[in-house]
Amino acid sequence: MTLETTLQQVYDLPISATIRENVNAFPLLESLHVLAITLVFGTILIVDLRLLGVGAHRRSADRLIRELLPFTWIAFALAVVTGSLLFASNAPAYAANREFQLKLVAIAAAGVNMLIFHATAHRKIAGWDLDLPPPAAVRVSGFLSLLLWTVVIVLGRWIGFTLDVLF
Amino acid sequence: MFLQTFGEWLYDTPVATGLRETTWVIPAVQSIHILAIAVVIGSALVSELRLAGVIATDEAPGTVVRRYLPWIWRALIVLLLSGTVLIVAEPARTLGNTVFWIKMGLVLGAFVLTLSFRRPLLVAADGVVSEPAKAIAWLLLVVWVVVIFCGRFIAYT
Repeated sequence: MTLETTLQQVYDLPISATIRENVNAFPLLESLHVLAITLVFGTILIVDLRLLGVGAHRRSADRLIRELLPFTWIAFALAVVTGSLLFASNAPAYAANREFQLKLVAIAAAGVNMLIFHATAHRKIAGWDLDLPPPAAVRVSGFLSLLLWTVVIVLGRWIGFTLDVLF
Repeated sequence: MFLQTFGEWLYDTPVATGLRETTWVIPAVQSIHILAIAVVIGSALVSELRLAGVIATDEAPGTVVRRYLPWIWRALIVLLLSGTVLIVAEPARTLGNTVFWIKMGLVLGAFVLTLSFRRPLLVAADGVVSEPAKAIAWLLLVVWVVVIFCGRFIAYT
């Protein structure tokens, strides 16, 4: 089974056809996707700026992260579900789109950056919890996260202008 | 109709033509627009949920509002500027579009509500949030969500 046949099978799924054929389905999914992305970016921005040394509404970085991360994760899950449905509606075209491919790479890079942060600096958070600005390693994590998520949003918008199949 | 004539005139101006013909301008400005919306949504989420008594209840409402209100204003300025560029580039898409005017009405309403219900909290730093202010906080979150839906639907109507 090649990638092409898999993509075509996804395209042929009844739900993919419904999204293509129902006039309101695609814009509704897009709206939910934008809502999810603004929630992901909006909450991550507050945390990333705190990691960079810009104060949030509370001093403790640990409490701020635990307060906002659930919102980020729920919104991210919504973004993945809506994004997957948008992808399914035109799987071969999205898979062939350069901006879409780069967007997935940027999301993966943001994930790796987060994993590194949680495996290193976050373990020692008790030592810098109230520091403004935090240690350099923490600031690097915050900066990379902001940069990568900004790239994700820009690439996502570009897909709408470069995708081969428009309907 | 005046708006249509104005839109046609605007469409033909050299500035509008230039914006359309430089292919990266519209996606770039739309990206900035979405990033600014994210700033509003993040700031509004934390502020409104604090005022509704859901999160950060150990911090004074004034502290939370004072932290995020300036961000909402700055992001709104970026949204107005980037939105204006998008209108100039494609007047027909917006000026003659009912969804666009609903969105503008909602943004204006959200602006007035934010202004009138946050200002008192800035003055009284540890003030208690009144019951109507709590209801307004939930209402504002709903309005911002509807604004996002309207924004996307402008492209389809």
